[in-house]
Amino acid sequence: MAVEKAPLLKQIHDAVVAFDEEKAAELCRKALADGVDPYDAIMKGLAAGMDTVGDLYEKKEYFVPELLLCSDAMYAGLDVLRPHVKVGEHQSAGKIVMGVVEGDIHDIGKTLVKTMFEAAGWEIYDLGKDVKLGRFVEEVQRTGADVVALSALMTTSMMAMPKVIEMLKTEKPEVVVLVGGAPLNEEIAQKYGADGYAKDAISAVHEAERLYKKVA
Amino acid sequence: MHFQKDSMTPAERMEALFTYRKPDRVPVGAMSTGFNTKNAGHTVADAYEDPDKSFADMQWTTEQYGWDPIPQYAGHTVLGAWDFGGEVRMPAGEFEGALVVTRYPVNTEDDVAKLHLPDPKTAGRIPQAMRFSELQADAGLPVYFFSRSPFTMAANIAGIDRFLRWTMKKPELCERLLKLSLEHIINVLTYWVDTFGAERVFAWMSSPSESNQLVSPRTVKQFAIPYHEAYHQRLKALGVSRFGLHVCGEQNLNLPLLAEASPWPHPSVLSFGHEVDIETAAAHFPKDIIYGNIEPAAIQMGTPDQVYDLCRTAIEKGKKAKGGFILGPGCGLPVAAPPVNVYAMTKAAHDFS
Repeated sequence: MAVEKAPLLKQIHDAVVAFDEEKAAELCRKALADGVDPYDAIMKGLAAGMDTVGDLYEKKEYFVPELLLCSDAMYAGLDVLRPHVKVGEHQSAGKIVMGVVEGDIHDIGKTLVKTMFEAAGWEIYDLGKDVKLGRFVEEVQRTGADVVALSALMTTSMMAMPKVIEMLKTEKPEVVVLVGGAPLNEEIAQKYGADGYAKDAISAVHEAERLYKKVA
Repeated sequence: MHFQKDSMTPAERMEALFTYRKPDRVPVGAMSTGFNTKNAGHTVADAYEDPDKSFADMQWTTEQYGWDPIPQYAGHTVLGAWDFGGEVRMPAGEFEGALVVTRYPVNTEDDVAKLHLPDPKTAGRIPQAMRFSELQADAGLPVYFFSRSPFTMAANIAGIDRFLRWTMKKPELCERLLKLSLEHIINVLTYWVDTFGAERVFAWMSSPSESNQLVSPRTVKQFAIPYHEAYHQRLKALGVSRFGLHVCGEQNLNLPLLAEASPWPHPSVLSFGHEVDIETAAAHFPKDIIYGNIEPAAIQMGTPDQVYDLCRTAIEKGKKAKGGFILGPGCGLPVAAPPVNVYAMTKAAHDFS
């Protein structure tokens, strides 16, 4: 089985990279039919495909249209495999609450961040866009999330971030807060009291993993 | 403020730039919609909804900070989602600085075929923009006309994530949206030209969806450049000779394409964000006036000294631009920009000229 499943996992990987939604779903169905562990198919097929997509994005061979379509292919495969993953058998990489802050509806960046965290095996609580300040705190309380990712695209909406961060740190001082979005940078993230800053969806996962390991 | 007395009026200064003559000092200005109205104690929404208030607030703010008529900018004339039948709401609350689309006109592939050209006189906020332009004309100012690029407008009609997917999977849908966007822009521009005369109109455009933070230069070449070229053919046919383009965001990979096409009249004003170095911009566009490029977040978050230093650097680079240079923010002036930081820009323009 170990020898047989490798080519199929590679095909799943390739379908994601080629943003072939139908193929990704079809191959995932085949994986189930062939008795491949669905978690393996997710991590070594779909997620591995998104890792390659991330590399292509960093090399500026792929841009946002490709990321979106590759993400669609990944989710098409996840929809097939996820119901078959035994609950509790695999530990998630961590729990993360994410959202675009109040006053801002630009969510394409956050959507891509979500995809990359999904691929990396995180448990995600996506609050969407234009999220009122207090909702982030409520969701951390509800889910026990260890990491919060805040996104803003405008100089007006970014002003919500320091307020959210203060509320989060008051409620749960050890929560890790990551910020991102066009007007942000490392310096501003520090001024706002964030623990980290990510310039794009690819680096967001790496930054969250680095920060989470520090406090875990 | 105590500056050396200008030897040119703002209009003369801008005219000098447009005829490749050296102005008396570095011009300075800002795209400042919500900032103007907040500065005058009104709301950001007033900038979009109340053209009389918006114009008066812009005039006071312009005088307060000694801005030049770049042209002045206070909101878009032509909007994609709104004009084509979507729904928007005015900015409200502490953290909103722009119109918010609440429903896009296009949500499915079938919706694209159902679109029709909007009324060029009544759609969206065109009536308010027309009133604003009337006030500019009455005041002897250039009448500005502001649209997004056809690519950005098309993305705004369908929602950016849907549109970007279609650039790869359904290019024919993108083409239809692009054609409709261009036609609508030109229809409204024609209305402006018929009302004010081509010689009074200053056409301005922004292209945020063409940023390389979103799309590749390959996508820009396929979908955006042809429509920039078509737009300028129509602009020229209408007799409009004054144009400005805000090259929004990270567009370094697009510069060679834009430079090769360069379809606009020369000189035009080309505005750049902090992502594009002034010297790089000047090298690619030696026949055009470079405008920018102070980072808006730095204006909002930094100290006056930091803003002043950023301006000094920009001016030192911009003064070498063959086509001329205007100092300004690299994108919209933040609504919450501290007044002293905005003043720091004006001071730098005077001190380092």
